Parts: sequence; structure tokens; C-alpha cells
Amino acid sequence: MRNLTLKTLAVAAAAAALAFGSGSLKAQPKGNGTSPIDRTDRSKSKQSLNLKGNPQPATATPLEKIPLDRIKLPPGFKAEIWSHGHAAARTMVMGSKGTMFMGTRVIGRVYAITDRGDKREVKVLLQGLTQPNGLAFRDGSLYVFAINRVLRYDNIEDNLDNPGEPVELTKAYDLPDTIHHNWKYVAFGPDGKMYVQVGANCNICEINPGVHGQIRRYNADGTGMEIVARGVRNTVGFDWHPVTKELWFTDNGRDWAGNDGPEDELNRVARGQEGANYGFPYCHANGIADPDSRRPNPCAGVVMPAALTGPHSAGLGIMFYTGNMFPQSYRNVAFIARHGSWNRENRFGYDVAVARTNGGRATIEPFMTGMLDSEKNEFHSRPSYVFQMADGSILVSDELHGATYRISYTAPATAAVTKKKR
Amino acid sequence: MPYVTADWWRPLALGLAAAALCASVSSAQPVAERIRQCGACHGEDGNSRMPNIPSLARQPEFYLTNQLFLFREGVRDVAGMSELLKGLKDDDLVALAKHFAALEPRASDEPTDPALVKRGASLIEPLRCASCHLPSFAGQDQMPRLAKQRVDYLIHSLKEFRDNKRTGADTLMSNVVIGRSDDDLAALAHYAASR
Repeated sequence: MRNLTLKTLAVAAAAAALAFGSGSLKAQPKGNGTSPIDRTDRSKSKQSLNLKGNPQPATATPLEKIPLDRIKLPPGFKAEIWSHGHAAARTMVMGSKGTMFMGTRVIGRVYAITDRGDKREVKVLLQGLTQPNGLAFRDGSLYVFAINRVLRYDNIEDNLDNPGEPVELTKAYDLPDTIHHNWKYVAFGPDGKMYVQVGANCNICEINPGVHGQIRRYNADGTGMEIVARGVRNTVGFDWHPVTKELWFTDNGRDWAGNDGPEDELNRVARGQEGANYGFPYCHANGIADPDSRRPNPCAGVVMPAALTGPHSAGLGIMFYTGNMFPQSYRNVAFIARHGSWNRENRFGYDVAVARTNGGRATIEPFMTGMLDSEKNEFHSRPSYVFQMADGSILVSDELHGATYRISYTAPATAAVTKKKR
Repeated sequence: MPYVTADWWRPLALGLAAAALCASVSSAQPVAERIRQCGACHGEDGNSRMPNIPSLARQPEFYLTNQLFLFREGVRDVAGMSELLKGLKDDDLVALAKHFAALEPRASDEPTDPALVKRGASLIEPLRCASCHLPSFAGQDQMPRLAKQRVDYLIHSLKEFRDNKRTGADTLMSNVVIGRSDDDLAALAHYAASR
């Protein structure tokens, strides 16, 4: 019975793949697709049976207990706490009047943070939503994407004490109601379209490629859907290169196939290649065939990543830097918040890395480190997203402590440099 | 496929009754009074004797704290629970969690079916339940204790996960049980409760 079901699913998936092959921007068929049975064969992974998800508290860490002094940065950079007391902090978008909106997952809240000069005022703007991780702001309106709802709050910055009833866009966007890997990341692209992620709702399974494992784009009102990328397991962060305007996205690799891989990915959607296939579920990282979901030539026609970002590192937010505060060498460089591993015996990530891009390739180097104690195999932070402020400093949200860190740069005094040279 | 259990209304009705009980009570009352209210349904000793109402005894404190937050904020939607916790401060929720986490768990008087227990045992390994809930099924951190939990509540919860009805939980559980039959879920519940 089960074999038959899986076969039917596979045939349906293959048919859908043919119908919506690489390069096609055609809209998907209606409906929410298949309910995949996860194919993870954990007994083959050889990983410890004790690996488990990392606990995420519902409370924020008191200011004096946030381990700021652990943070290590390159010379000239400095970290300070910008805001705190907003439990489970993740995504950040700023309104045109300067309100910072912050999305969360398990706690179901959206915060509004107002800068009062020397301190920040934190308000719970919305609560009781199902994982409202997807936020975008345009023309005075805050767009909130929860797993099961799409809402628009007009004129929000004038109504922070009483946001009122939102415009319901859920039906217009018609997103699948599956929940796993479907907390959203969304952003307006340079083309004015709303880009939305739809994850594969499993660890490893045959997805319906017409529905799951995609990045889509819509008109802001939810019409005109197009598929921008396919075969994407779970991206929850993307941004556009400031010069080429091409879309770059992080993607989280599968679990239970080994401690060291397949590694997570940084990908690019090259100009004119919208709709391309990034490999899930058959092909991972730099061309690794999946051990549980098999087909002949698993990597044929698959776009290889621009860079690998480490095993189980969980790259979430990515942001290209365009500010003037940091040294010139950081101009147009991408900052990636790596949330840190759970499906790995020796922990990895829990940092912010930079990706220096060159055409379709990128090199990854560390930037903000120190929150992973490799000796004790313990972590002290979960960096989630990165946001660039008007003055060119950047904010890093920390889901674990419910805080943001402001990273600023001061050039060494010229006199000191001259002295050294002498 | 729509899924309705014959006893779906029970937690709802009990929740409403509990909410009605406490509606007249001021939110400024001490934690001890709240504990008494919790005990009316969840058992004074934290071991529930009511169908579909979970036992709280020796649940991990982290798990209980998280769930109390999710109820208070209306993220986890169980009739009556949000009302009962309205107005409680973060510290009050932590105090409630500490109280129930310290109590001794006792198995309910529901009959467990040996055939189902046996079948459940064969499902546990491939699903790696013990990775999170521990081999003893005592739970840890954000993962609940399943050992000595009520069978009917476990079945109810597993169905909620499978059918995308459980809000506020990590979606990993939905992924683990997606596509599983009612029989599989009953087997898992009977096995876990019997630990």
C-alpha cells in the first residue's frame, strides 16, 4: 500500500517537473499539492541518537545576563546592545518613520521598536499569530506573513497602540496550508514584487515541485504569481546584489545524512534564469546525490551553489552591505547570520559570516564570532537576521536572548598609524 | 481529509467550564490559588483523571513555561486556557511551571493495549522519538514527558500534529507524524504512555 502511494507520488512529481520545467515562470496549478511522507532513513545516518532541536525560551534574557563580552569582531568593529526585552527576536524591517518591526516564530508576536535616542522602547504590536516570521514594509503598510495568513496593516506607524483590523490577503496569495518549513521569509524586490518562500514541508521527501520548495514573487496584492526558484529545501533569507540586482538566497540543507553534510548553500538566481532548479530533493550542495530520495542523474540541470556555508550551520538572514561606515572592502559584501546547528554532534555556526561575491561564485569568511564554545560544545547566541541602519552600522538579531546587537566601525586614528610606520 | 474525533468536544467543554469557574476571580490572586484552579482539571497532584486533559506532573519546567506563554498569548489555542492565564505575569507562569515540574508522575487508570504497545515499540526506532523525548520518554527542555501521560491526550495531540491543527509547536512534530494512520498514532500513544 505504502509503496504504491510513494510510486504514485513520484510519478505525479515527475509529471509536474516536466510540466513546470526549469526556466518556466508559469503559475502553479491550484490546490495545496501532495502530503509527502518523509523519506528520512535515520538508521543510515550514523549520527548520534541524542541530537535534538535547540531549546528556544519564550522569555527574553535580562540585560545584565546577555553575554555581549563573548562577541569577537575584526579590528575597528564594536558590538553593543541596541535593543532587548523582545523575546524570540528574528526578522527586522523598518518603517519609513523609523519604527523597527520585528517578527518571531514560536512566540507568535510582532514587535514594534521605537528609537528614543539613548534607549529603545519595545511594544508587542501583534500576538497570537502562527509564526509571523515574514515582514515587509511599503507605502506606510506593514505586510505580515504568518504560516497560515497574509495580513496588511495600513498606516501602521500612526497606529502603533491600536493597529486595528488588517486587510486580509490570505486568499489572494493562496499559499499552501502545510506548516513544516513554511514559516515565511518575504521581501520586496527591486522590481517592486513581493518575494515569498515556500519551503519543502519535510526533511527529505518527494515534493510537488509545482507547490513546494520554491521562491515565488507576486504583485503586492497577491496577484500575478511567478516561480523564481525551484528545488529549494528551505530558504528563510534572501537579498538582491546592489549592483547586478540579482537575487541571492541562503538554503538550509537536509538533516540526518551525516554530521558533515550535505552543507548548507548560498545561491544566486542569475539574470534570465528565473525558475531554475536548485536540486531538492535529489541533489544537494556541490552535487551530492541524496541517499534516501534517489533518481538517475540526480544533479542534471541543477544550478550549483555560489558557495557552501557549512554543515548544518543554518544560514538564515542575508544582507548586502551598501553603507558608508564600514571600510570600503565591505561594500556590496553579503552578511549572513548563521543560526547554528542542531543535527551535528560538534556544534557549528552561531555566528555572522561575510560572503564576498564574484560573478556567480562567493567566498565565505568569519565576521562576528565567539558565541560558540567549541571546547564545551555549547552555544551562547542564535544570530538570526541582519539589518543595515541609516548610519551604516548593522543590527544582528539574537533569537536566543531576545536582543539586537549594533555593530559599528571606527577607523584607527591616522596619527597612530603614522607612528606605527615610523 | 477532514478529521473529527468522537470526543473532540470534551476539552472544549471542560475548558469553557474551567474558564467560567475562574471568570469571577481577580487576576491579582496569589500563585497558590492558581495552582488550585489548575488542579481542578489536571489533578491536584498533577496527574489528570479527566479524559483528554494532560497530566503535568514532572513535565520539564522549560516545556511547561513555554506552553503557559503560548496559552496566555493565544498562540496555542485550547478553549479556556487563555482565559485562565489572562493577566498572569511572566514570573507567575514560571512559578506555575516549577510547581508542576516537581510533582511525582503516576500512570492513569486507562487500559493500555499490549498489542498496540508492541506495535508502537517497532515505530519508535525509525521515527527517533527518543532523540528528543529521551529513551525514558521523560522529556527534556522544550520536549514534553510522554511516559505516564494519558493515552487519550497523547492520541489527541498526535492527531493535532498530523492534521496541522496544533499551533505554537515546533513544526518538527508535524513532519514526524505526517501521513501516519490513526492506528499508528494509537500505537505510539500506547507505547509512550506505558513507559
